[in-house]
Amino acid sequence: MTSGNTTLDGAGAEAGVTVDKEQILSIVQEVLSAMLDAGEVLVFESDPHGESDNDLYAWVDMHMVLPMGDLSARAVVRTEAATANVITQSLLMMDPSEEVSTEDLADAFGEIANVVGGNVKSLIDVPASLSLPSVSAVGSDALSGTFLQDIDLNWRGMPLNVSLWILTDATEWS
Amino acid sequence: MFVIVADDSRVMRQIVIRTLRQAGYDWEILEATDGQEVYDLTLDNNPDLVLSDWNMPNATGLEALIALRQAGCQVPFGFVTSEGSPEMREQAANAGALFLIAKPFSAESFKAAIDPVLA
Repeated sequence: MTSGNTTLDGAGAEAGVTVDKEQILSIVQEVLSAMLDAGEVLVFESDPHGESDNDLYAWVDMHMVLPMGDLSARAVVRTEAATANVITQSLLMMDPSEEVSTEDLADAFGEIANVVGGNVKSLIDVPASLSLPSVSAVGSDALSGTFLQDIDLNWRGMPLNVSLWILTDATEWS
Repeated sequence: MFVIVADDSRVMRQIVIRTLRQAGYDWEILEATDGQEVYDLTLDNNPDLVLSDWNMPNATGLEALIALRQAGCQVPFGFVTSEGSPEMREQAANAGALFLIAKPFSAESFKAAIDPVLA
């Protein structure tokens, strides 16, 4: 499940709901290039890097209406708190020495997940709605449901991970 | 020009305002944080343009636009949103929006969407 093309399992695949790994990479590159790196692409696929105690998670949920019923998926962006701090400073054009508030960090990191998730949703050719973003330091808050796909990335030398999950029990669609 | 910029994210409002300046629009800005504020501030202040996020608490941007049209308000209205699917573009156009700018955006994409509205 960690490489190659991935479909939203079961009913998602039957309904033609597919998102491949290269599309996710392309979305992340476009989002970070435009929002953080003045048009330059500074994020690339990397070797796998596991979770750490310093990680933060930002996510949005997509609720899709398929012929056989509703299906919910989640897009999660994970990175270390220090990287989320740099993301916030970059988005707000702050000096690296300036302190980032908890509120701004959650807002900025959540917006990255929101834009990534919104672009993933745009790939899915079925009626769908998007939730507001959530941010947590607790992995189990974010990483729930059936794992579909993830991609490990390196942004400016810092680790980043984007993963997709099915929130509804996918087996009922198979 | 007097413009309302609406997004529940303060960070995103700052980015939108910064991008407007980068695109050369030196406009007076009023900020709204949800769909209800878009509706209330638009009726109270009669702006020249509304730039609104789609997905916000207390009424979405689309719901705010529909309510404004139902109230007889014909303010020029555009979306700046993380979702740019054909379905959403159609919904936006049907509700009376002039354009939909998908995030991530640039000063160039702002100019491409907004300049025709100003012409």
